Amino acid sequence: MFGRMIKGILTRQWKKMLMIGLTIALGASLATAMLSVMLDVGDKINQELKAYGANIIVSPQEASVIEDLYDVEGGDKATKAYLREDELSKVKTIFWAFNIVDYSPFISTSVKLDDGSEVKLTGSWFNHHLELATGETLDSGIRNMRSWWDIEDGDWIDEQGSGAEGECMVGTELAKKLGISVGDSLHVTGNASAADLTVKGIFDAGGDEDEYIFTTLDTAQAIGGLDGKVDTIEVSALTTPDNELSEKAAKDPGSLTIKQYETWYCTAYASAICYQLTEVITDSTAAPVRQVASSEGAILDKTELLMGLIAVLSMVGSALGICNLVTASVMDRSREIGLMKAIGAQNSSIILQVITEILITAAIGGAAGFAAGIGFAQIIGQTVFGSSIALRTMVIPIVIVAVLAITLIGCIPAIRQLLKLSPTEVLHE
Amino acid sequence: MQKKRKWFFRMAFASLLRRKSRMLIALLAIVVGATILSGLVTVYIDVPRQMGAEFRNYGANVIFTSKDGTALTIEEINDGLSNVNSSQIVGMTPYRYETVRINQTPVTAAGTDMSSVLKTSPYWSVDGEIPDKDGEILIGATVAQNYNLQVEKSISVTFTPEEVAEEAVAFDNGDEAAEGETSTSDVVLDNYIDFKITGILNTGGAEENYIYMSLEDLEELTQIPTTISLAEVSISASGSDLTAVVGSINQNSENVSAKVVKRVTASETTVLGKLQALILLVTIIVLALTMITVATTMTASVTERRREIGLKKALGALDGEIIKEFMGEQVLLGGFGGLIGTILGFLFAQLISVNVFSSSIVFRPVLLPLTIVISMAVTAVACLIPIRNATEIEPALVLKGE
Repeated sequence: MFGRMIKGILTRQWKKMLMIGLTIALGASLATAMLSVMLDVGDKINQELKAYGANIIVSPQEASVIEDLYDVEGGDKATKAYLREDELSKVKTIFWAFNIVDYSPFISTSVKLDDGSEVKLTGSWFNHHLELATGETLDSGIRNMRSWWDIEDGDWIDEQGSGAEGECMVGTELAKKLGISVGDSLHVTGNASAADLTVKGIFDAGGDEDEYIFTTLDTAQAIGGLDGKVDTIEVSALTTPDNELSEKAAKDPGSLTIKQYETWYCTAYASAICYQLTEVITDSTAAPVRQVASSEGAILDKTELLMGLIAVLSMVGSALGICNLVTASVMDRSREIGLMKAIGAQNSSIILQVITEILITAAIGGAAGFAAGIGFAQIIGQTVFGSSIALRTMVIPIVIVAVLAITLIGCIPAIRQLLKLSPTEVLHE
Repeated sequence: MQKKRKWFFRMAFASLLRRKSRMLIALLAIVVGATILSGLVTVYIDVPRQMGAEFRNYGANVIFTSKDGTALTIEEINDGLSNVNSSQIVGMTPYRYETVRINQTPVTAAGTDMSSVLKTSPYWSVDGEIPDKDGEILIGATVAQNYNLQVEKSISVTFTPEEVAEEAVAFDNGDEAAEGETSTSDVVLDNYIDFKITGILNTGGAEENYIYMSLEDLEELTQIPTTISLAEVSISASGSDLTAVVGSINQNSENVSAKVVKRVTASETTVLGKLQALILLVTIIVLALTMITVATTMTASVTERRREIGLKKALGALDGEIIKEFMGEQVLLGGFGGLIGTILGFLFAQLISVNVFSSSIVFRPVLLPLTIVISMAVTAVACLIPIRNATEIEPALVLKGE
């Protein structure tokens, strides 16, 4: 009998139930989409903020320490410390290797041009192809890490193409001073050897680098006589905004308790990644670039909070909407329920029936809404960030519980009113 | 005619009052919709401004240097800044760089306005305090490490005037290893000031190699009147707006050459653009869904009044009159809901703004008519179909309760 009545409601009053189902579906899709976007927006914005370049710089431990302690003689150039090129691949082996989006080594040497002037020649990776031990491949270098460079003429050096060794890129100020353009040959004399470099591109960096010549790492090392040496490594990593723990750790990891240390080490704080980098690279110090790292933290925090609040408030809005509609539609059935009471139905069975109907509708609507919500999230992800939004499993239980709770809450005022109804009044009306 | 209108309003209001609880439900639906509409639109309009302010964490986005390669004066900088809307200027910090000596080894000293450095370089992390009076100094972390300096200690900074510079260079080359020992002729000619170290600067960048003092102290130390090497300016504008501002500075000021710091601005435009696009899409989706919810609720509330419509028809009301009356009633409700929603929406936006950006927002009057009109339009559309359906029904059937 119960089943037949439920079925009767769902088939006879399908229009009304469809409307409730549709509203619940809309609410569920909104919740799913907003929750997915909210949970993923941090990662997405973090990726976008990588446009600011490196947030960690690894440099050799000061040579001056050795000089001061042991009184090593020989002028400042000979004792200048370097990092080792053969250790570069270790950057992608640290605990948070997955969070390292890009990195690039730099080696600088000063070279003489034909007119006698000295300029800075920097060797780096452009789009260096890395085959990692994990089987991953990565194209890393300043092509990504200097995203703000405007290539005024020519193109980036293509390390994967042929002839990259004899090519260079010249800053716009220097190019103007020298009157050179793309395709010209530039004769440079360094500490170790001289070379003819073909100008591949002219860039506008809007800073000091406009006065430099950039070339591949190998070429710069050969010219400067610095084989196998690297000045600094710039690392672009996805990090978690700093908090008290990470600031304490950044000052002295030794001051943490074992538990704190573990939490810190296993969270992608800039200071933890720095610490892990110094573990794998001999005689190095790594420091977060505060201009990039702290601003990133602030912007990430704000964006997440903003999206979170929009999500919560719009979900509250749609929850109210659903509650409202459920109340309206249950109240609408006063005549029917009055009739049921008149022929002897008990309050409990009426409640059970009303709730069952609504919950069946809610389940169908919720499932449809969930699917639609994933679709909405993907539309947002593709349109705004050009990549899909990851679906977190935690969204599923949240949406299920929310839909059930909201629907049930929506029934309460209506049910209370229905129970108060006196059958004669309703039927007489 | 006037009597008829009066009657119409009486019917509409009476209906609203009599059916309190049902009307409350319909009103609530509209209010929720209107709140989300006006709130999200306000947030969407306000986000670029608020987020732009957050992006000023990256520090100065414009650098002032002089046009002719010489130095600037504070007056010239202020003249350049007068081309910018004062509300857009987040901060301006002048810098004067000189080579000074600590323990006879050269260090770059920057003279600056200590009260404004944090506005153009908010990312500076200082152990201790930023100096706030003359005779105090802020030193970069590398300098502190090299000379083993700590906060609260004092430090003697010397400057070699140009007249003796040549002599000093020759002297210095021979004397680098023997730190501290100085020839008498040098001491007499060098200017020096003892500073108290108030803070050690950590930035992870080149700033750690410098020492920072006030412009007045640097003037006293060098005995050369203050000139400004460059000024860092933080302007809250991005993309083409910033280019326009910089263009007008370059055009109108006499000696200031303003340059955009590309690293900071190029990326800001991209990230801010994405963020705004994100909020726009979210707003559109949330609004579309909310409006449909409002519409379904309104549809439901009209549908249940079929009996009333049937009764009116039975009493001889014309279809047109019924549609007009019901629509009028609902649209009135829509307008009222829109009004409440605008106020609540402003509070909603204010809540977000205060929580996220800790700043308040201004009420945009244009949103009031906009929200009311949209609320009315949505209710009208939502009610049109069920009311028309109801009028097509035979009164006898409806009244019988089929």
